[in-house]
Amino acid sequence: MVITPLLLLEGVAKTFPNGTAALRGVDLRIVPGRVHGLLGANGAGKSTLIKILAGALTASCGTIRWKGEAAQWKTPQAAKAAGIATLYQHIPLVPTLSALENVLLDQGGWCRHLPAERRRIAALVASLGDPFGLDTVVGDLPIGARQMVALAQALAGGAEMVVMDEPTASLAGHEREAVYATIRRLAREGKAVLFVSHFIDEIVALTDEVTVLRDGMVALSAPTYDLNEASIAQAIAGRVVRALDKSGRSQGGTGNVVALRDVGSPGTLAPVTLDLAAGEVVGIAGVLGSGRTELLHAIFGADPRATGSVSVDGRQIERLPEASVDAGIALVPEDRARQGYVPQFTVAENISLAHLRQFAHAGLFPSGAREGAFAAEMIVRLAIRAPGADALVTELSGGNAQKVVIGKWLTPHTRLLLLDEPTAGIDVGARTDILRLIRRLADEGLTTILVSSEFEELIAVCDRILVMRDGAVVAERAADGCTEEELILLAGGTRPSLAAGAQA
Amino acid sequence: MTDPDWRRVFGLREAGVYYALLILLATLAALAGSRGLPPYLAPQNLGNILYQASLVGIIGVAMTVVLITGAFDLSVGSVAALAAAVLVGLAGEIGFIPAALAAVTTAIAIGLLNGVVVELVGINAFIVTLGTLTAVRGLVLVLTDGRSLMVEQPETLAQMLAFESSRFAPFWPLLLIAAGLIALSVLRRSLLPGAAAALLAFAALLAGRSFALAAPVGYLILFTAAVWFVLRFTVFGRRIYAVGGNPEAARLSGINIHGYRIGAFILSGAAAGFAGVLFGSRLGAINPTALQGTELTVIAAAILGGTSLFGGAGSVVKTVIGALVLFTLTNGFNVLNLGANYQGLIEGAVVVAAAAIYTVGGRTRSKPHRTADTAPGTAATA
Repeated sequence: MVITPLLLLEGVAKTFPNGTAALRGVDLRIVPGRVHGLLGANGAGKSTLIKILAGALTASCGTIRWKGEAAQWKTPQAAKAAGIATLYQHIPLVPTLSALENVLLDQGGWCRHLPAERRRIAALVASLGDPFGLDTVVGDLPIGARQMVALAQALAGGAEMVVMDEPTASLAGHEREAVYATIRRLAREGKAVLFVSHFIDEIVALTDEVTVLRDGMVALSAPTYDLNEASIAQAIAGRVVRALDKSGRSQGGTGNVVALRDVGSPGTLAPVTLDLAAGEVVGIAGVLGSGRTELLHAIFGADPRATGSVSVDGRQIERLPEASVDAGIALVPEDRARQGYVPQFTVAENISLAHLRQFAHAGLFPSGAREGAFAAEMIVRLAIRAPGADALVTELSGGNAQKVVIGKWLTPHTRLLLLDEPTAGIDVGARTDILRLIRRLADEGLTTILVSSEFEELIAVCDRILVMRDGAVVAERAADGCTEEELILLAGGTRPSLAAGAQA
Repeated sequence: MTDPDWRRVFGLREAGVYYALLILLATLAALAGSRGLPPYLAPQNLGNILYQASLVGIIGVAMTVVLITGAFDLSVGSVAALAAAVLVGLAGEIGFIPAALAAVTTAIAIGLLNGVVVELVGINAFIVTLGTLTAVRGLVLVLTDGRSLMVEQPETLAQMLAFESSRFAPFWPLLLIAAGLIALSVLRRSLLPGAAAALLAFAALLAGRSFALAAPVGYLILFTAAVWFVLRFTVFGRRIYAVGGNPEAARLSGINIHGYRIGAFILSGAAAGFAGVLFGSRLGAINPTALQGTELTVIAAAILGGTSLFGGAGSVVKTVIGALVLFTLTNGFNVLNLGANYQGLIEGAVVVAAAAIYTVGGRTRSKPHRTADTAPGTAATA
């Protein structure tokens, strides 16, 4: 039996004005009444593909057929009007209005709360399994229920296809079950669902067909019953990053520099105990929401609710950012623009910010000469492309701004470097520079914890790798002999309780 | 050193408030001349403008620090009035100096309260200080029982008047500062301090050795210079800008952002308290509605000076110039008898026009720029 596709993509490609080719010819076939899983590593082109479907971007070439007719949406409104609803991770709802008001938010008309409208929405919400009360204020709903409000909004607008971008990444177990149930119900009612996820186990359990993207191309496209977790993981991986020379690590030093004892945070991070040797690079493999950022913040003392103890060189550190900086703990945060640099400051001022007293006369009057000299040293050492140390940091490209945020910690004072996704959103050249730098610093004896969702980077750079999932460390592997597929499976595959060889 | 970007240093966004003051003075001088009034730019009249602007200037300098850290303080007018009430109420019994100390301490306590509630409880600064604005004004009414208070004791009154109304000749101090600026100019191989020195020396020679300014102008100059120095040349100043520029980045760099913001509120309270002491000493009396609305003039001065309400940018010197612009307008309307009814209309329009210039100027540059006198000491990077 041949089923007419609802949506058919042929050779869709997208090249951005700066020359980045995010998609290089993707075919996709979406059929009503079926759940289609979309996977891929970071940068594989998932987000670009979703944005094209949602009308937020237009394809550079290729054809899109919607119900058999050529289509090209220029605006998100056009895609929505055609019947494609996209649910992003950040849910655009008005938190102070009721669920019903939010569901009706994008509908026209003068009058609200017509009894007929209310009955229609009530029936719709009932068909979703009544995940929320119509009159509950959205701000009071848990995140899972908010997604359901967004879904109801999409369906009330007459959507025939629903694109869900990692809907389960920030949800607890029972909330995920509710999402799965709703997706199955949608499929039974004849809607098409494109389900994007990092979790291979839920893809296998939930979907009818799977497409895996890699480097902007389709690496795998098959019915789910022909696949297993291992074959999917293999398709996601396959990107080869040359392993860096780790010969220096054995000379790194002896004894443990850093001791973490039961470092956790109630509700988001199960206690972690870890010892790190001088010059050791420990990787944290985990997807968004796995607790990886929470772990770094708990170690740094940036999370006021954090529990447990952190010692550097045998001395226990008070759990405050100020105390951590004094003790030589450094954090390069995930979002450099929001957390990393001060936009009004120059490169030199940003680099000196954390250790300003060291660059000041009498510890009180910042010396432009000393700051400038240190910044100039970092510009050379990290190959920062900047007009000069007195250029504003906002004049730099993302990769170079990231190097500035790393550079501010590279004083002899730093004993433990915490890196949260240091290579996210930066170009290949800067990425390689940063990975080499981490290795070089390790050879000089600096202890590092590196968080990355690019698992092949972890294998290339780290000595050992901890896998995190759902706020807990679920496995530990030596980087040698560890494969990307294995990490993908541990971080997003079969649940930790079932994972073979998992060490909690 | 690397040459500064002159187009930026003298651009509207960086130097607009100076131009505004110069244009205003020139216009008023021309109007005065054409109407056959005494010369508007006489040292005596300029001294008056400085005197009239001094209280708002002192509060404005501290307000600028609060705004740079990304917070907001609406309570300053009430706090100044409370300090004046405490001074006038106590001076007769315990003497001028102890009463002044009590007044400033009270004001500091309210600044601390503002800071603690905003930072540690986490309530929006606008709401908290709107509350203290009202509550402290209520406290003034309670303390004065709704009537004007006066200092009765003649010796105490004389002390207060001496503190507020004594005059000093700025001739030698101005020349001294000019010499210092020339030294700085040579040391940093930069032209700007030298130019400023020339201007100051010129002003001193023009005004002459007998010309005298009122004491509050001296306090304003000293306070502005001290805060300017701290903001520009110390670790604390750099961190204050960082706290306002990106609080999360500052926190993750190990800076105690709550401490810095609470400190800014305390400074704001102290400055308002000191201004209140000056105000109370002016007449030796206080009426319970005194200084109402001062907070808005202060914030207008800061905005005229280009201080960002979002934090991370601002200059205390330019806030003082902003205050001078506002008080030159007031003074001009009075001296030239231009119809006081139009005054509010013009002042409001000037503030909005200034904000528009800063916003549009900022947009065309597309990059955030700090004001010139907070620019880094990068002289030696080359």
